Amino acid sequence: MGRRTTASIWKTTGMYRYDEFDAAFVMGRTAQFADQVKRRISGELSEDQFRPLRLMNGLYLQLHAYMLRIAVPYGTLSSKQMRKLAHIARTYDRGYGHFTTRQNIQFNWPKLKDIPVILEELASVEMHAIQTSGNCIRNVTTDQFAGAAADEIIDPRPVAEIIRQWSSLHPEFSYLPRKFKIAITGSPNDRAAIRFHDIGLQAAVNASGETGWEVWVGGGLGRTPMIAKLINSFVPHEHLLAYLESIMRVYNRYGRRDNKYKARIKILVHEEGLESIKGQVEAEFAEVRGGVLTLPQEELDRITAYFAPPDFADRSDDKIDVAYESIIDPAFGRWLDNNLHPHRVSGYSSVTVSLKPVGGAPGDATDVQMDVVADLAEQFSYDELRVTHEQNLVLPHVAVRDLRAVYDVLVANGLAEGNNNLITDMICCPGLDFCALANARSIPIAQEISHKFASPERQKQIGDLKIKISGCINACGHHHVGHIGILGVEKKGGELYQITLGGDATEHASVGKIIGPGFEADQVPGAIEKLVDFYIAQRQGEGETFLEAYRRLGEAPFKEALYGTA
Amino acid sequence: MGLPKLAPAQAAHDKLKALGILALNGMFDEMDAVGVLRYAVSDVLPGDLAIVSSFGADSAVLLHMVAQVDPSMPVYFLETGKHFRETLDYVETLKRQFGLINVHAIHPNPNDVARFDPNGDLWETDPDSCCHIRKTEPLEPVTEQYGGWVTGRKRYQTVERGVLPHFELTSDDRIKVNPLAYFSDADVIEYRQKHNLPEHPLYAKGYKSIGCAPCTSIVAEGEDPRAGRWRGLNKKECGIHYDFSGAIANPMTAANRHTLWKDGAFIADPFRDWEEGTNPSEARYVHVPLPVFLANRAEFLANPHPLGLLVSPGEKIEDAEANLSRFASIAIRFPAFSDGRGYSTARLLAERYKFAGEVRAVGDVLQDQIPLMRRCGFNALVVVHEPTRQALIENRLPEVAVFYQPVGVTEIPLGTRPFLRRVS
Ligand code: HEM
Ligand code: SF4
Ligand code: SF4
Repeated sequence: MGRRTTASIWKTTGMYRYDEFDAAFVMGRTAQFADQVKRRISGELSEDQFRPLRLMNGLYLQLHAYMLRIAVPYGTLSSKQMRKLAHIARTYDRGYGHFTTRQNIQFNWPKLKDIPVILEELASVEMHAIQTSGNCIRNVTTDQFAGAAADEIIDPRPVAEIIRQWSSLHPEFSYLPRKFKIAITGSPNDRAAIRFHDIGLQAAVNASGETGWEVWVGGGLGRTPMIAKLINSFVPHEHLLAYLESIMRVYNRYGRRDNKYKARIKILVHEEGLESIKGQVEAEFAEVRGGVLTLPQEELDRITAYFAPPDFADRSDDKIDVAYESIIDPAFGRWLDNNLHPHRVSGYSSVTVSLKPVGGAPGDATDVQMDVVADLAEQFSYDELRVTHEQNLVLPHVAVRDLRAVYDVLVANGLAEGNNNLITDMICCPGLDFCALANARSIPIAQEISHKFASPERQKQIGDLKIKISGCINACGHHHVGHIGILGVEKKGGELYQITLGGDATEHASVGKIIGPGFEADQVPGAIEKLVDFYIAQRQGEGETFLEAYRRLGEAPFKEALYGTA
Repeated sequence: MGLPKLAPAQAAHDKLKALGILALNGMFDEMDAVGVLRYAVSDVLPGDLAIVSSFGADSAVLLHMVAQVDPSMPVYFLETGKHFRETLDYVETLKRQFGLINVHAIHPNPNDVARFDPNGDLWETDPDSCCHIRKTEPLEPVTEQYGGWVTGRKRYQTVERGVLPHFELTSDDRIKVNPLAYFSDADVIEYRQKHNLPEHPLYAKGYKSIGCAPCTSIVAEGEDPRAGRWRGLNKKECGIHYDFSGAIANPMTAANRHTLWKDGAFIADPFRDWEEGTNPSEARYVHVPLPVFLANRAEFLANPHPLGLLVSPGEKIEDAEANLSRFASIAIRFPAFSDGRGYSTARLLAERYKFAGEVRAVGDVLQDQIPLMRRCGFNALVVVHEPTRQALIENRLPEVAVFYQPVGVTEIPLGTRPFLRRVS
C-alpha cells in the first residue's frame, strides 16, 4: 500500500493524516452505521438494540432531539476540518456547535435521517463519531498545547494516535462494563486532567534517561469522584499497548456490571484495592508482553513523523511589549496577558481563543466563528487548531508578530475575550436546557456569573480561578475539580445548587468538598461573590491564588464567610 | 486463510453451506454409530436419507442400527444377478428379523445385460464394465432421489480409508454418512455377538467380505478381509462408493429450523442444553456448566462421551485450563449482548490456551456483534433472533472490512503497520 497518498489535500505537516487504510476503516464504519440507522428507521432494530450501536457512533437521544458527538482525536483539527464542522452546523443543525470537556464537538439538533450523510461529510475530511459514547474506549484526550508547549517532555500526540488506532472498534473491548476514558500528557504540568480519567498517562523519564509513561488508573468524576492511582511508574513506549490491553482485560472481566453506577474502573480499583488490581494487571501483562502488540520503534517513528513540527520561519528576534500594548489598548493587553501560552520555539506563542464571552453559553461556537477560526489557523497557525478540555479553541503556533492581526479578527467575531483561566472562563455542561439527565440548568448559571464578574479589572484582581458547573451528579462539567464547583441538584421539585471548594484537576489533584447547603439559582452569583471577596481579603498578596489560599486556610473560614456561622 | 469462516467472504456458495455438516465431524463420540445415524435421520436429512446394503458378511450390524433408528428407512440391495444363493436368503432373514419394511432390490437393465454380458462372463474379462452395468447404472436413478446415503464403510478396511469421517460430502453436494467409520473388525464382531445378530451363512465358511459370487473368494487368516473380493484383479473399490453424479436434491431444505450457525450454514446441533441433575458419568452431548464441571471433575473426566463446556460471564475459564482438550465444544454465554465478558473468554481460549475445538456464542447473539465475535475466535453461533438469522443467511453482516488491532491466533499482522493493522 502506498503511504500518504491523501497528503496532497493537506497544506502542511503537523497532524496525523489518513492513508488508504484509515480511510477504508472510516468509510466501512460509516457504511455500517448507515445500515444500522436504516434498520432502526425501518423498525427492524428496536430502540434497545439500536441504543448501544448509535452510542458507539456518538449519537445520543437528548431532551429535545438526537445529539451527535463528533470525535476530535486528541483535540487536534485542521482548518479544513473546522470548516467542515461549520458547514455541518449551518446545513444540518441550527448554526452552532458545542465544544465539550472531552475536546469533542456536539451538535444538538441533527435529524436521524441526516446522520449517515453527516458522517459521510465527516469522513471526507477524515473525521468520524466513532466511540465518542457507548461503553467502549472513548476518544483519547490530551494537553491542548501538545507539540507546542515549552514545558513538554515529549509530544503525546503520536502515542495518542497509536492508542486511537488500537482502541478503534476493538473487538474485545466494545462492550465494557461502562465507558472508558484515557487521557495522556507529555508535560509535567498536567493540563489534561489525567488523574481524573480511567487511565491517565503521563510522560516520564526513567533512571537511564529514556522516556516512557507513568500509568495512572481508576480516576474519574461522576457521582463517585476518585483521583487515579499510580499503577506503574514507567512503561516504555514499546510495551504501552500491551500494558493498556492488560488493564482493559482485567476491567472487562471483573469490572462490576450489576450496577451501572459502580461499573467504572475507579470502583473496581477502589473495592479491590490498587495492589490486587495491580497484581492482576501485571500477571496479564506478563502473558501478553512482548507479543503482537509490541510497538516497534520504526512504527513510532513513522507516526511521529506525521506530527513533525511545522517548518517554523525564524522569528526568534520578534518580541512583543505587553506593558506597552496594555497602555495603548488595555483589552489587547489583557488578552496578551491571559490567552497566550509559552511556545517551544521562540518568537511564537499558543493562542487560546475564548469561547466564554460574557453572557454566552460556554463552549458554543457559531458556524461563522468556526469558519473565522479556520481561516486564522490557515493563515497564522500552520493550519493547526486545538480544542481544549476547558471548552476553548487554540491556535497553537502563532508568530508573535501576527498576534495583533489575529486579535483583530477575533475581536470582530466575538472571540477575543481575554479571560483564559480567569473567573469567567468556566467549564459548563449542557444541563437542563439540553440534557435528559439534568437536575438543573447550568448554562444560565454560568451566564449570570459571567455578568456579575464581567469587569476586566475585577477579573484581573481575582486572578486564576476555575469555576466548573454540572447540571447533575454525572459531572460532565467537572465541578468536582473546580476551585469552585457548582452542582445542580433537585430538592423538593426545585433546582438547587451545591457549592464545592478546593477541587483541582492538575498534577496536584484534589476533589472539591461540598461546603454547606445549596442555593437557589438567583443566589448563586452572590454566593460566589462572597467567597471571592473573602479570598481577596485573606490572601497573602496577589501571588497567592484562590486555590492556594483555600489550601492554606482550610474549609471552615470560607464556610463561615458564606453562611455566616462556623 | 485460517480465519474461522462464520460468514464466507464472498457469496455463500451452496456447497459451502452443505459443508457445514462436515463441521460436525469430531463432535460425535467415535463409537456412537447409532447417535450419528439418529442425528442424520432426524436432523440432517429427514426423509431424504437411504442406505445401499450388500447384505454381506457384516451388513447386519449397520442394518440392525438402521432398524433401531428408523425401520422405514429405504434400504436398497443391488441384485446384480451374480449373488450367492445364501446372500439372497440372508436378505430375507434380516428383513424379517429386524422388521425392515422398506427394502428394495435394484436390478440391472435387462437390455444392457443382453447387450454387454450375454454370456454372463463379463466379470472375468472386464469386471469394471460388469460392475458398471450391474451396479453403477442401475443405482444412479435411485441415488438421484436422495440427499444422502448411509454407508457401512470403516476406516480400517483399506489403506485409503484411514481418514474416513462420520460425514462426507460428495462432489455433487450429497452427504455420505459413515456411522461405522471408527469400528474395527473386533468391534463389529462384538456388536454382532452382543445383539445376537444372524450371521451371513457363508461367513463361517471363511468368507469375510462377501460380494457377487464370481468375485468373492475366501480370505486367509490375517489377510485384509476385502482381499477376498476381486482377488487378483487389482480392483479395490466398487464404483458405487465413489461420488454419485446427477442432480442434487438440496440437503439443506430441512435446515431452516436449525439454530447452530457454523462454517457458513445453519446446521443441526448434536448438543443439547444441560439439565439439572444429569449424572456426570452419563452425560453426553451437553454443554456442562463450568461450576458443575469443577464440582464433578473426576466423573466428567472419566465419562467417555462427547461433552461441551458452558462458560457464563464472571466464570473463569482458567479454572478448567488443564481439561479444555476434553471438550468438543465450548459455549460462551452472552446473557445480554451488552455484556462483553465473553469476548475476553474467547480470546483466552484461542490465544492463550490454543483451544482448537468449537467455540460457540450462545444467548443474546445479534448481527451487530457477530463480526467482533468472529474476530475474538468464535467459530460457531447459536442464533434465534430472526433478523440476525436472515442477515447470516444472506451474508450481509454489518462488518468493517479492515481493522487496526491484531486479535486472535489467525489475525497475523499484515502490511505496513505491522503491529496493528490488517485487512479482514
Ligand atoms: C447532553 C448529554 C449528555 C449526557 C446524557 C451525558 C451523560 C453522562 C453520564 C451518565 C456521565 C457519568 C458517567 C459515569 O461517571 O459513569 C457523564 C460523565 C461525563 N460527561 Fe457527560 N453527558 C452529556 C453531555 C456531556 C458533555 C456536553 C460533556 C462535555 C462538555 C460531557 C463530558 C463528560 C465528562 C467529562 C464526564 C466526566 C465524568 C467521568 O468521566 O468520570 N458530557 N456524562
Ligand atoms: S452533568 Fe448531568 S446535566 Fe450536565 S450534561 Fe452531564 S448528565 Fe447532563
Ligand atoms: S462384483 Fe463382479 S460380478 Fe458383481 S457386478 Fe462387479 S464385476 Fe460383476
